[in-house]
Amino acid sequence: MSLVATEITKRFRDVTAVDGLSFTVQEGALFGFLGPNGAGKTTTMRVVLGIIKADEGQVTWKGEPFHRLGRGFFGYLPEERGLYPKMRVAEHLSFLGRINGLDKHKARREAERWIERFNIGDLSRKRIEELSKGNQQKVQTIGTMLHDPELLILDEPFSGLDPVNTALLKEVLMESHKRGKTIIFSSHRMDQVEEICEDIVLINRGRMILHGNLRQIKKSMGRQILRVSLEGDVDFWAKIPGLDLLASRADYQEFRLGDGVDPNDVLRAAMRAGQVVRFELVEPSLDQIFVEKVGATA
Amino acid sequence: MSMIPVLVQREFSSRVKGTAYIVTTIIGVLVFVALSFLPPIMQRISSSLAPGAIELIVYEQPGEESIVPYLEQVGAEREGFIVHPAGTFDESEAYRKVLDEGLSGLLLVDGPLYTFVTTDASNMMLNDEIQIVLNQAVSRWNAVRLGLSADDVASLFGRVDFRVREVSPLGEDGEEIDSAAQGQAMILAYFLLFMIYMALVMYGNMVATGVAEEKSSRIMEVMVSTVKPLELMLGKIIGVGSLGLLQFFIWIGTGLVMNTLGNSGVFDSLLGASAALSSIPLETVLWFGLYFVLGYFLYASVFAAAGALVARVEEVSQVVTIIMMIIMVGFFAAYISFLNPNSGLARVASLVPFTSPMVMFSRIVLGSPSLLEVMASVVILVASVLLGAWISAKIYRIGVLMYGKRLSLRQVVMLMRD
Repeated sequence: MSLVATEITKRFRDVTAVDGLSFTVQEGALFGFLGPNGAGKTTTMRVVLGIIKADEGQVTWKGEPFHRLGRGFFGYLPEERGLYPKMRVAEHLSFLGRINGLDKHKARREAERWIERFNIGDLSRKRIEELSKGNQQKVQTIGTMLHDPELLILDEPFSGLDPVNTALLKEVLMESHKRGKTIIFSSHRMDQVEEICEDIVLINRGRMILHGNLRQIKKSMGRQILRVSLEGDVDFWAKIPGLDLLASRADYQEFRLGDGVDPNDVLRAAMRAGQVVRFELVEPSLDQIFVEKVGATA
Repeated sequence: MSMIPVLVQREFSSRVKGTAYIVTTIIGVLVFVALSFLPPIMQRISSSLAPGAIELIVYEQPGEESIVPYLEQVGAEREGFIVHPAGTFDESEAYRKVLDEGLSGLLLVDGPLYTFVTTDASNMMLNDEIQIVLNQAVSRWNAVRLGLSADDVASLFGRVDFRVREVSPLGEDGEEIDSAAQGQAMILAYFLLFMIYMALVMYGNMVATGVAEEKSSRIMEVMVSTVKPLELMLGKIIGVGSLGLLQFFIWIGTGLVMNTLGNSGVFDSLLGASAALSSIPLETVLWFGLYFVLGYFLYASVFAAAGALVARVEEVSQVVTIIMMIIMVGFFAAYISFLNPNSGLARVASLVPFTSPMVMFSRIVLGSPSLLEVMASVVILVASVLLGAWISAKIYRIGVLMYGKRLSLRQVVMLMRD
């Protein structure tokens, strides 16, 4: 266990933003921090990093409180992006490197290296305010990893990036992951989390809903999603009790199997209704888990 | 390792190349250059206003004792005062001389009534001058008529030898105070006081605006996650302060260059001809430096806290108005202290932290406050700077992450207890 958050509670006067939240992040994990808007993700990240103090609870890294970890231990991309608008890209990056403990030369070298890595060499002499929002975000993202921190905390790192840059950022994150760095990132895009995360925590209204290994969470939810593609009477399912239609797409229909419904009964009914092209029992997507769990607590 | 040097460097280098900074620096240089041309211009103006040489013709009633000798006596103490008694010219010739040849005028004496006939009746300075000389002459004349001897008259109207010497409770014998030197000290104190005032207002505002900008550009969250709020605040204050120092060096340098270049430089005009900058005592410079720095730190930390409390840059001016008023109070207290550096007001104001940088400094230049008072003022000021920085850093910490609306004082106090 590396990062251990124990019973964190943070109140803002009459609002409890985080309510007795506990979770752990393994060293070297790619960790997804999920929750609907206003769930308390940003507040939790701020508490973890010590930007704001928790009313109760504590956060440790390998048993040490966070404030003892020293400069440059983590990199943080806040949800509210922001840079000094008048500074130039290369200058700004080496400044960020320096406040994270790099010396002058190393900071400059790393800034150049990362500028190349992110294909923004032509922007390095430009002022931040002259850049597009997406490019500003790239610069700030570089700023979080320039000093090669052990722990990366990224709040919605993909929002605002186009597909090319999203892919590039994923690639960079995977590289860091392979080098044993711990990465925590929040997102509301479940497909992205599903694609790269191993462990997740899902919170809603400041409370933990799910926590653990994504595979195991999915497995524990059971194979209750059924995809059927049928050439024939697509309304065949209406007569089967305990079967809910989740989605009706051009190429297939998606159902949730109720308790005690035998998939074989459904298959037989489908075969009677026409030619079965596809019949598949799948794990629920993170999206579905999310909606189900959050919906249940809402 | 403290990150303050890195923050100071960023603050400095990102602003020093900015248009605003360059423009204000250049304007300041121009002002100082213009000031250095001021004394000759002022001299010309004042000499054109002064009455200059006065040439009078005096007409008296026959049979009365003449006032002319007394006018001459008094006039002799003044440059270019010429009196012609009646009879030197006849009346028409006298009028012609006044009208055509530029004599100052005729003085018609009729018993107690003196009438000054002139082509320049609206020249108040001339009229005043005539009246002053005439009053003295009449006083002397009366003294003689009352039977006083020439010696008595001389001692009655002779100049008094007046000196001022100060004793201090510490026992060291007071030096004699030269009133000319005192006047110079006052101009010097006023000039330096004004510099402190300007620096507090200008750079204080720069600090507040800078903090508000950092807030509104949302860079703050990254910064506070990496750097301690106190470091962040000190970095800003020292960064802006060093920009201010550079600007002041440039301006004073301009003044010095103009001073050596010119016939009469800026410091001549401000300090009087005999007190060039080189004659400012080192002690004064050191006291100036001390109160300048302490005063700047105290006010700048308050400005920084104010900047942290607003939500938008546009709101800064509303919040800093209060601070500016406190600076003004300090400035006026120092100004009043000029007249009497040891008055009760001056003594109190030189201990109160927000006024002491200006008031105590003025008192040190002008008067001689006791060592105890000076030490008390410095100690109180240093303690306030530390306390102020601590409180401001707390407010800063709270304020910088609060977006959306301005915080009320009550909210700040509540949050600070957390």
